[in-house]
Amino acid sequence: MNPPPAWEEVERLYHQALELPVCERKVLLAGVSPALREEVESLLEADSNAGLLAAPPTHLAADLLDGQPGGLAAGQRVANYQVESLISIGGMGEVYLARDAQGRPVALKILRRHLIVNAQAVDRFETEARAASALCHPNIVTVYESGKSPAGLFIAMEWIDGSTFRAIMAAGQVEIAQALDWGGQAAQALSAAHTAGILHRDMKPENIMLRKDGVVKILDFGLARYGGAVGPEANSMGASGTITGTLSGTLLYMPPEILRGETATSASDVFSLGAFLYELTAGQHPFAGETPLDVFEAIECRPVAPIGSLRTGVPQEVDRLILRMLDRHPSGRPSAQEVSEVLAVAQASA
Amino acid sequence: MLLAAWSSGDQSALNKMMPLVYAELHRIARRAWSQHPHSNTLQPTALINEAYLKLANAENASFQDRCHFFAVASKAMRQILVNHAKSRLSVKRGGEMANVSLDDVQPAVHQEAAQIVALHEALEALQAVDPRKSTVVEMRYFGGLSIEETAEAMGVSVATVNRDWRLARSWLIREMNRRSS
Repeated sequence: MNPPPAWEEVERLYHQALELPVCERKVLLAGVSPALREEVESLLEADSNAGLLAAPPTHLAADLLDGQPGGLAAGQRVANYQVESLISIGGMGEVYLARDAQGRPVALKILRRHLIVNAQAVDRFETEARAASALCHPNIVTVYESGKSPAGLFIAMEWIDGSTFRAIMAAGQVEIAQALDWGGQAAQALSAAHTAGILHRDMKPENIMLRKDGVVKILDFGLARYGGAVGPEANSMGASGTITGTLSGTLLYMPPEILRGETATSASDVFSLGAFLYELTAGQHPFAGETPLDVFEAIECRPVAPIGSLRTGVPQEVDRLILRMLDRHPSGRPSAQEVSEVLAVAQASA
Repeated sequence: MLLAAWSSGDQSALNKMMPLVYAELHRIARRAWSQHPHSNTLQPTALINEAYLKLANAENASFQDRCHFFAVASKAMRQILVNHAKSRLSVKRGGEMANVSLDDVQPAVHQEAAQIVALHEALEALQAVDPRKSTVVEMRYFGGLSIEETAEAMGVSVATVNRDWRLARSWLIREMNRRSS
């Protein structure tokens, strides 16, 4: 089965052109039919970004070698837990709905074996296990147990029957009274973490859930740090893919001092919570932008419009509080404790 | 033996061999994992070489056998990786029920899986235009063979493989860009 003659012509011209300097290729192709020229030119263009097939699919191969494509099977045991179903999957591992020995539902997060070679992944995983288990607060997800199993490292945690605030906000505008209640619960959780000397450092609606009974839960302490101040996190963000992966999503909640590479403090968490509260009450993000660069610029220098200019019914003291949380200078921001107090008062008088 | 039968042109021997290669690659993969749990760079090539040594006694097999084996094994590896990529992509990610956020990591596995499936489809289109070039890509990319090994296995010159490989890559990249836009 020979290729049609036209293809042979394309092939001949393509290789001939490759041997010529770029400026002379035009001369070569000037003499041929437009269709043929277009064909060869588009191939030459593709040739210049031929990096695609340069590397073998090692991650996929490693994933395959892991022996369990698509994750653990229902009924499989991990330590004392029995897997029921796969809930979500990502580069950091998989989350399953599982049952403990008493039949209680648990969320089982598993770091797959081939990721164990990645020191940062392990570090992040262990940080999450340690930080969350050091905290005992009704608004912080409870970690029951963590350890190693043949399937990989695992964290067994409280099963939360509900949705993330990302999903809730996507579903439509939230009532102001509810926003004050939920925001207050999140602030209480953050305040408890700060009192225990733990920074969350990744506060955003994807990491905050609302249980069906109305209780707010903060999750994912994978980037948490102890003892207040820590250095800039360029490496941990790059390695985990936060920056390259969903840059704008995470960027939206990043305080200006972190963007500048300065040290994260409890005030940085307050800023991120402030961006979330603004979004929750105003119905739009204070730093929304078309591109990551726009967002960057907005966080650095765009004035934040008072929520009152976007939506009526938000108590003035709450509006002022949220704008203070978004102060570009960490020293100008209230503590998480103060945020929860102001929200409690506002809620009571609303 | 099966390999010898296949190299003498028996198509049914090839059909019999595919599942064997497939099973053997899986078995090696499992063992490789338990032996080298800290190696993150297990490559398809290493697997195919090992499978070859296992399936064909290398000392007895002729050079022809070896070349044919690589052709079959490359095909098997393509099939395995594409199937795995599809199963990976079919798992629902994140969403409303996500109890724990995994969103901020764009996993390399998924990127590669999407790429492999796209490549596989583009390669089928290339097969229709120029079967030899699609075989070159199969051996080079999925089989992990070098230019020289590919030339040997296909019984063509190194220069031909070089030219085929370059044009095939350009063609596939263009095809994948067109399909994704």
